[in-house]
Amino acid sequence: MTMHLASEDLVDIAEGTRSEASAQHLAACDSCRERLIDLRSMMSVAKDVDVPEPSPLFWDHLSSRVSAAVAAEASVPQPNRWSDRLTALAGVRAVQAIFVLAASLLLVFAINRRLPVPPVAEAPVLTTAETGADPLVVTADEDASLTVVASLTDGQDLETVREAGLAPRGSAEHAVTQLSDSELRELRRLLNEELARSGA
Amino acid sequence: MPAVDIRSLEDLAEPELVEACRAGRPGAFDLVVERHRRAVYLLCYRFVGTHEDASDLSQDVFLRAFRGLRSFRGQSTLATWLYRIGVNVCLNRVSAKDTLRRLTTPIEAQQFVDVRAELPSDLMLRNERNARVRAAIARLPRKQRATLILRTYHEMSHQEIADVLGSSVGAVKANFFHALGSLKKLLGETP
Repeated sequence: MTMHLASEDLVDIAEGTRSEASAQHLAACDSCRERLIDLRSMMSVAKDVDVPEPSPLFWDHLSSRVSAAVAAEASVPQPNRWSDRLTALAGVRAVQAIFVLAASLLLVFAINRRLPVPPVAEAPVLTTAETGADPLVVTADEDASLTVVASLTDGQDLETVREAGLAPRGSAEHAVTQLSDSELRELRRLLNEELARSGA
Repeated sequence: MPAVDIRSLEDLAEPELVEACRAGRPGAFDLVVERHRRAVYLLCYRFVGTHEDASDLSQDVFLRAFRGLRSFRGQSTLATWLYRIGVNVCLNRVSAKDTLRRLTTPIEAQQFVDVRAELPSDLMLRNERNARVRAAIARLPRKQRATLILRTYHEMSHQEIADVLGSSVGAVKANFFHALGSLKKLLGETP
């Protein structure tokens, strides 16, 4: 007894692309013959289901609809490649700006965590001379979180913040973005001095 | 500067007609629609079972074809490519549940359908029988349904169906076999 016919063989025989005689197994196998009969019967049942013929007027109606839809489609200006690039660029800038913002928050959090403000009465008066180092300066080497911050902010600048719309005109952030490099350095120095004085 | 083809659109072979469409030659895409609208409509009708939905889907198929003409590389015939779009549109837009719901719409109530040549009693019997089979086909798994429709009603070869569905000839034959088996089972379930 040979194996039953595969579905592909049965389809070929049912459709007549292969003769029944070529499959000797059929003569000896009731099961395969029955499957073949079912197959032919269902092909016939399915074939008999017709589609109601539309009115002859319908075809021109369909063509008109398609033509109108295509015309409407063609009249919509297609985005050019430059605008696509600008959109993509704006997206990248926005992501960069979000990184800068997140990095700033992380920095503030890290400093606050490392340097809790002691009660005023018990606050030891430490000077740079006594400690040999600025107590407010926490370097990336000392704190892993600052390493992350440093890597996130590397290469970011105020230009990125401004382009991302995070420094609206009239705001302090906007004023900062207008400073020159030397002015920014001076601002940074003054802020550090102020932070050191206030013990923040 | 490319040479301008002054031949009538009717005289163009298919690749040239496609090129004329891409070049925006007036009437070129209209001719594509005219040549293939019947096949596309019938394909859509087989999936959705109502004239109105088949019309909407046909329009969608041609609109997608228009948008995608630039990516048509001519590796298959335009008809096969349109069938591929049609099957995707139909399978994505229409769930079996939707089709079953639509099939409850009486065919004679549909606009544009010409039923003048048939006796009412014959028409009723035929509609009832057709509706049962259509409902059973609508319940077939997606690939089985698409295979059955393309093979039975559009007389596409197994290879062409494989091209449309992105599968092998063996898979198409197996799908066809199982579709017919499932159809028998489903029709046996219906009262």
